[in-house]
Amino acid sequence: MSLKSERRGIHVDQSELLCKKGCGYYGNSAWQGFCSKCWREEYHKARQKQIQEDWELAERLQREEEEAFASSQSSQGAQSLTFSKFEEKKTNEKTRKVTTVKKFFSASSRVGSKKAEIPEAKAPSPSINRQTSIETDRVSKEFIEFLKTYHKTGQEIYKQTKLFLEAMHYKRELSIEEQSEFTQDFYQNVAERMQTRGKVPPERVEKIMDQIEKYIMTRLYKHVFCPETTDDEKKDLAIQKRIRALHWVTPQMLCVPVNEEIPEVSDMVVKAITDIIEMDSKRVPRDKLACITKCSKHIFNAIRITKNEPASADDFLPTLIYIVLKGNPPRLQSNIQYITRFCNPSRLMTGEDGYYFTNLCCAVAFIEKLDAQSLNLSQEDFDRYMSGQTSPRKQESEAWSPDACLGVKQMYKNLDLLSQLNERQERIMSEAKKLEKDLIDWTDGITKEVQDIVEKYPLEIKPPNQPLAAIDSENVENDKLPPPLQPQVYAG
Amino acid sequence: MAQADRTPQPGASLSPPRVFKLVLLGSGSVGKSSLALRYVKNDFKSILPTVGCAFFTKVVHMESASLKFEIWDTAGQEKYHSVCHLYFRGANAALLVYDITSKDSFLRARHWLKDLESEFLPGEVVVMLVGNKTDLSEAREVTFEEGKEFAESKKLLFMEASAKLNHQVTEIFDAVAQELLQREERVDPTQRGDPRLTLNQAPHPGRQAKCCAR
Repeated sequence: MSLKSERRGIHVDQSELLCKKGCGYYGNSAWQGFCSKCWREEYHKARQKQIQEDWELAERLQREEEEAFASSQSSQGAQSLTFSKFEEKKTNEKTRKVTTVKKFFSASSRVGSKKAEIPEAKAPSPSINRQTSIETDRVSKEFIEFLKTYHKTGQEIYKQTKLFLEAMHYKRELSIEEQSEFTQDFYQNVAERMQTRGKVPPERVEKIMDQIEKYIMTRLYKHVFCPETTDDEKKDLAIQKRIRALHWVTPQMLCVPVNEEIPEVSDMVVKAITDIIEMDSKRVPRDKLACITKCSKHIFNAIRITKNEPASADDFLPTLIYIVLKGNPPRLQSNIQYITRFCNPSRLMTGEDGYYFTNLCCAVAFIEKLDAQSLNLSQEDFDRYMSGQTSPRKQESEAWSPDACLGVKQMYKNLDLLSQLNERQERIMSEAKKLEKDLIDWTDGITKEVQDIVEKYPLEIKPPNQPLAAIDSENVENDKLPPPLQPQVYAG
Repeated sequence: MAQADRTPQPGASLSPPRVFKLVLLGSGSVGKSSLALRYVKNDFKSILPTVGCAFFTKVVHMESASLKFEIWDTAGQEKYHSVCHLYFRGANAALLVYDITSKDSFLRARHWLKDLESEFLPGEVVVMLVGNKTDLSEAREVTFEEGKEFAESKKLLFMEASAKLNHQVTEIFDAVAQELLQREERVDPTQRGDPRLTLNQAPHPGRQAKCCAR
């Protein structure tokens, strides 16, 4: 006994040194009494459980968020302009939110699993990660086909572009500004090299640059459009909310020289809105710019038809602001930022596309700053409209609001027409009644008149006229005539 | 390497002329658009944009060289003043237009100049002060001397014109073109490079050096 206690004082019991799991190997206090192998297994299990729990939590949170979002959306939906627009925005925002949540959690779980040394947790190799969509494939093919026409210069360009894309892959962790600068440098270098070494004429250089931009930006789009490292998404939501809050702004307030009651003009307005919304669906900055230009052309047309003279910038900017307010294009800030960062700079500061893009930037900046003064409203009115207490539309109820949706407008028109018809019908009815009454009156009048005349000149049956009697009396007086001569028989 | 590009080559005349961006500034209804319209329309009726007149291009042939103007019209209403600095990016020249019959528009031109000064380094952009509507001289509120004095104090080019009568309109743009080319020559020895690139580089002076070092 004493021996045992003594031993314990100096030594730890043999059995306590062994692995807790009883595998026969020695354990270690650093591994909580497990041997290295068993410890790893135990730890792995615990981590797996943790990850599982994380996932469940993530899913639950996501569900809750979706529900909360759906309910908040449906309550807001009432003030949204049209149902389809609202629907589109809703799904848009929803999917984005969800992916953010997912990304957040998947990133953390990957870190965790890395520690646990799960084989697939290794950093994905570039070749696996480069998910090629149909579009990227098509653009790559087109790019290669295009470069083939330039033979040696084309090969050189292809090599450079490839190198650039590889380099960009390793720069993914850097800030978006650095990535943007790197891209801009690349544009400049390639253009310079083509002109000096390749002796390519400037017009051709521009054409090739367009193709290069298309190729690299189609590939990079996913990583550099609205990256999570920036607050682009927050800005998108902010401007979207702002535009939604400004739904009551009328063309009159902005002094927009567009009369939407002309069918041709309202057609142009719709087209312009479609174009500006379409911008979000394009991947290449230049294609996005083309959408803005198309939208601007439609605006110019609308102004020209209304005013019967070409529009100047004084007319154009307010109309563009109005179109942006009416369209509320999705991910507006992200798109502007993306174009600014990754478009060939020469396109942005000069050229027609650049001009319209600048105007769009002005429009967005104006909407952000917009206040009572810029709409020629009093501060109180502005605050009331902003808070949604009243709407300027109610005051001008006789003329339906011009920014109501097309269907509602049509309905108003039809209602108007119906009421007009109703009025006419009533008029016809009353006229008919009047006519009936007139007719009766007329008949009565005639009858009365006739009676009067009849009374005035009663019908007297006069005794037979003298001459008539004379004719008859002739016969009477016949008696007075000497008797007709009697034939006398003469004996002879 | 860029020098080779610059020396006159047989095919050089075919290459597109240098592009200069010119911004039209001034309060509403001083005739910015009319000036540009008059200038562009007079010689090239066919080039006139059919849809809008807010963005124009025009090639100018000077004695020494030819250049292409890109004219950006801006919204003049007071409420858009705060966002108009966005138009300045990469501009090479600016026309500050005021109406000689409106003192207010002249004062607003001073505002525009302040905006320009805050965006650009001195001498980076050619600025011209233009008093428009000389055809309405009986209602004049800003004298020629006033305009000239102000322009001289700020080292601006100055001219009065009438877009309506087409008086001095072409002269304005020619003077700006002349000045642009002259400045270009002065700057040239220090900054030889592809003209199109130097043009776009103005806001990022550091970029060129970085590329060469690489």
